[in-house]
Amino acid sequence: MKGGVLLKGAILTVGIYLFLKLALPLFTAPLPASLIFIYLALTVTGIVIFATLSGQSTEAFFGPISRFLSGEGQTGAMKTARLLVLVLFPLLVGWQTYSSTAPSDQPPAENRTIHPAPPGEFVGLSNPIPNTPENVMAGKGLFAAFCSPCHGNFDGKGPAARGFSPPPANFVDPGTIAQLQESYVFWRIKNGGVGLPIEGMPWKSAMPRWEVELKDEQIWKIIMGEYDGAHQKPRTWE
Amino acid sequence: MNRSRAWRVSVVAGVALSAVILASVAGWAQESVAVRAALVKDNLPAEDPTAAAWSSAPVSEFPLSPQVHWAPRIQEVTVKSVKVRGLHDGQQVSILLEWADPSEDPDDAAALEFMVGDKKAHFAHGQPMGQVEGGPVNIWFWKNKDAKVLDMNAKGFGTLKAQDQQDVKGKGVYQNGTWKVIFTRSLSTPDAEDDAQIKPGDFINIAFAIWDGKRDASGDLKEKGSQKAVSSWWYFRAEPPPDYSGYLYAALAVGLAAGFQFVVIRKLKKGSSS
Repeated sequence: MKGGVLLKGAILTVGIYLFLKLALPLFTAPLPASLIFIYLALTVTGIVIFATLSGQSTEAFFGPISRFLSGEGQTGAMKTARLLVLVLFPLLVGWQTYSSTAPSDQPPAENRTIHPAPPGEFVGLSNPIPNTPENVMAGKGLFAAFCSPCHGNFDGKGPAARGFSPPPANFVDPGTIAQLQESYVFWRIKNGGVGLPIEGMPWKSAMPRWEVELKDEQIWKIIMGEYDGAHQKPRTWE
Repeated sequence: MNRSRAWRVSVVAGVALSAVILASVAGWAQESVAVRAALVKDNLPAEDPTAAAWSSAPVSEFPLSPQVHWAPRIQEVTVKSVKVRGLHDGQQVSILLEWADPSEDPDDAAALEFMVGDKKAHFAHGQPMGQVEGGPVNIWFWKNKDAKVLDMNAKGFGTLKAQDQQDVKGKGVYQNGTWKVIFTRSLSTPDAEDDAQIKPGDFINIAFAIWDGKRDASGDLKEKGSQKAVSSWWYFRAEPPPDYSGYLYAALAVGLAAGFQFVVIRKLKKGSSS
């Protein structure tokens, strides 16, 4: 029974931490560290209040802690453990302080939105070109001529891809054109990288503004050839 | 038996740990995202691409693409990547480009590009962007036959123009199939409208372009104008003077924590003995 409150409190705190960190993300998005910290602070506060409601429970709670820290009558492992705690605690505080005050020498974090919202006039357009084998073939020919230097064999690994950051899109990846409607792809080809809104970081994109060089009809054919070549289907409104 | 087993386990663990550390360091070295110009006390090798000081400067390597972003394009270029080093002395900054080129030609050329001011600029000559108001770019252009660096600005295609006030010096040396070209300028200039300002500690955007000035059988330049090897934006930083304040704060925190422990334990001991 001795030390029971303390032990139970410690087990409860660890249990709640594991629940917040591991179990909860199975049902919802992972919690930010700051939120977990707030929940744990509330838990510890609650345990301390509960443990100090009476003089007896206060002694049961703080007794083991103060006996451990004062070090009286300790031998062997307990003595070493106490010494370790007394050395590690100031070092931990020092490390925390250092890492929170040290200036960062890393480049600024970039939160580039990969598929930002398109302008209104590009929402809900449908491909006006009939999906015939001839048109798909023509689209693949245009793709080979204009797109493959960067986008390669639909995999984003063309011979001109290496110097560009962000890298050219890989259309075989299920996270690119398979997630997008044809009208979205039409916008991205027609207006190119410079047509992106600010969250898409247009200043870094090497995607040409193809409206300068290609007709709309050619762009729609390229889209057809691109989906066929990458073995993907455009997303549609269900 | 027990002892030799423990020994073996620790050797295996040590080797595994070293392998992990080596792999992570090697991976980090391959993935350059920034040029870091180290601070030197004096003797900045401002006009000597072959100075010994360069061998101690940290090197970053950036892949280059044939310029296919706007017409006229080029599908294949000679130079596939460029190594970049930087040094500064608090007043001037020197940036050294190094690349492999099988032949020295009068039209071999290289350029550095920076954003100017706070406005973002497209890496292709600061061309206009549809939804974002862009700024100008500052281009430092070196050509072998001119034996100097031009300090230029652009804000869109066809707007590239040399500045009235030329601030950048440079020099190229070709040895054993390798170009080493140095660009030197003061960190800051009075003309913040046109010149990139380099403040130690800040990351600014940098891009690279290289032309192989070789001529084909009919005497035409293979690479010229927009037909060149390019990169998109990376980062450049002039390293700030070392800042030891973090250690000071940490030492203070260690002292406070140790003092707190001391007081608490003394109080506990007094309490238990009374």
